[in-house]
Amino acid sequence: MKEKRAQDPEDPVLPAVEEREVLLTGPEVGPGEVFSVPIGPIHPALKEPIRLTFQVQGERIVGVQIRTGFAHRGIEFMGMRQGRNLIQILYLSERICGICSISHPIAFTQAVERAAGIEVPPRAQYIRVIISELERIHSHLLWAGVAAHELGFDTLLHLTWRVREKVLDILEELSGNRINYAIPIFGGVRRDITPDQYPKVREALRYYRGLFDELLDAFLRDPTVEARTRGVGILEPKEAEELCAVGPTARASGLRKDVRQDRPYLAYSDFEVKAITPEDYGLTPVGDVYDKIVVRLLEVGQSIEIIEKALEGMPEGEITSFPKIPALLAHLKKAEGEGLGWHEAPRGEVIHYVRLVSGEESPLVWKVKAPTYSNLLSWYPMFEGQEVADIPIIAACIDPCICCMDRVYLVRNGKEETWTKEGLLRLSWEKTRRMRR
Amino acid sequence: MKAEQVLNALKTALGENFRNPELRPRSVGVARKWTVEEIWAEVPREAIPQAVGTLKSLGPLHISIISGHDAREHIELLYHLAVGFGTEGGEVMVTLRTRVPKSDPRVPSICGILPGAETTEREKIEFLGVDFPGIPCRDHVFLPDDLPVHPWRRDEPELEKFLHRMVEWEKGHEGKESAGS
Repeated sequence: MKEKRAQDPEDPVLPAVEEREVLLTGPEVGPGEVFSVPIGPIHPALKEPIRLTFQVQGERIVGVQIRTGFAHRGIEFMGMRQGRNLIQILYLSERICGICSISHPIAFTQAVERAAGIEVPPRAQYIRVIISELERIHSHLLWAGVAAHELGFDTLLHLTWRVREKVLDILEELSGNRINYAIPIFGGVRRDITPDQYPKVREALRYYRGLFDELLDAFLRDPTVEARTRGVGILEPKEAEELCAVGPTARASGLRKDVRQDRPYLAYSDFEVKAITPEDYGLTPVGDVYDKIVVRLLEVGQSIEIIEKALEGMPEGEITSFPKIPALLAHLKKAEGEGLGWHEAPRGEVIHYVRLVSGEESPLVWKVKAPTYSNLLSWYPMFEGQEVADIPIIAACIDPCICCMDRVYLVRNGKEETWTKEGLLRLSWEKTRRMRR
Repeated sequence: MKAEQVLNALKTALGENFRNPELRPRSVGVARKWTVEEIWAEVPREAIPQAVGTLKSLGPLHISIISGHDAREHIELLYHLAVGFGTEGGEVMVTLRTRVPKSDPRVPSICGILPGAETTEREKIEFLGVDFPGIPCRDHVFLPDDLPVHPWRRDEPELEKFLHRMVEWEKGHEGKESAGS
């Protein structure tokens, strides 16, 4: 490379020879000197676009700059200013996050219900809780798999994701979809969980209960996992509190901060939810990655308990206070007021603020806060002083989100086939029908 | 912590500056009924740090978000704070509403009291053009650093042109896509 550059120094497109040498070979860094390593926004090690610029001294990180916004879609603007009505915005809110795809609709429906004075029937509240907790199980297992992968432990990734399939099947059984369940609507839910579906849900819960100790064993009593995560990416309790960290990120630092406990909503006060910290596993909270694994795994157990209780005490009655959509839309159009809705998503607190103006179909104000937004600042103390090799697991430990694809390429019997979005959708419908038979 | 207690502490600390306080109860739970109370009040922009400081002295403080919108003649910001997490039903949601004149869109930063507010204050700088003197970093969070508009402002002279350019670009882009396929 160097020789080729020397032969072609006059190319006007390229920077000066000396600068190009620095660009291609990097600056000469003496021992103890600090230099920058930019990672992203597009990088093979990242699953979503973000730019992390690390200042490193040898193998040690001494500083980091984080730049987000590469996937900013302007969803709030689309909701407020482009003439959508609230039901259209509900489906838009579901698409803010593909993994916690019920968390945003739950917070959004609550905010609108508060603003428009709509009551939610008890049965609908229970159904929302059940779907949310099923989602927590799938999201935490997904994260556990990603964490194992970031540690270079792919056997554990495949094991965890195989186990996760069961809860996705149950969500598909209940809602028709593996993600984007479209369950909540203003004033209730769109689909009931019928008594003949209870045994299937209970069977899945038994399956996870049976596997729970095995999962704890695979993650928490494994010397490799412990060696890679103990003392890595520490977030001190004081930092977690000051930086307003949320969800498992805050709880792993020993803060008993869980919206389901602190500010109960829907039917959550029925289940006496307690925020889980590593103390519940007999550990003193350190706030490292290991503690974050402890909290998320214990929360899988907690969600199983909540769903069991919810199925047992499921109230009878209506599932929505507005069975007819035109009546609902008319009510929403007349409504005037403002409201806040919140939810403890798998990653932490989601909050929506909505203000409605009478006579307008779109809200005047719609503000969305996702959990990663609150946890962004926590990344700084977690990265500082750490080794370069630990960057992937520290980046993953607050559980940022991953997007999906629209087509796949398949080789079957040596013959190449391309599956389109439509083909996959058809397959998915067929599978749901098979499951329901 | 009780909402009443938080409300009284704010009234005592802020006096005249604590306007139109309101307790909004919501009943939750089916088998185990519970009432969660929210506090909503208006605070002039210069008293925001004092209000946040008062809340911090009451218990562990969390800022959910600052939401805001362009109310034509002024900009309205809403600080959604929660004080006292850690016990069942013990956290009180406090929303402080403040008006920011467009002629001088500045509000003192609360990052010195609550460092976790930095992201949301930075977001308001880029979306609404409100400045927060005292904020440690003014970098954009979501929008490109060189974006010439504040998209949530309704009086933004450049916004319409900007959106028009975007729509035109999208139209051109769609045309190319369909021609290709």
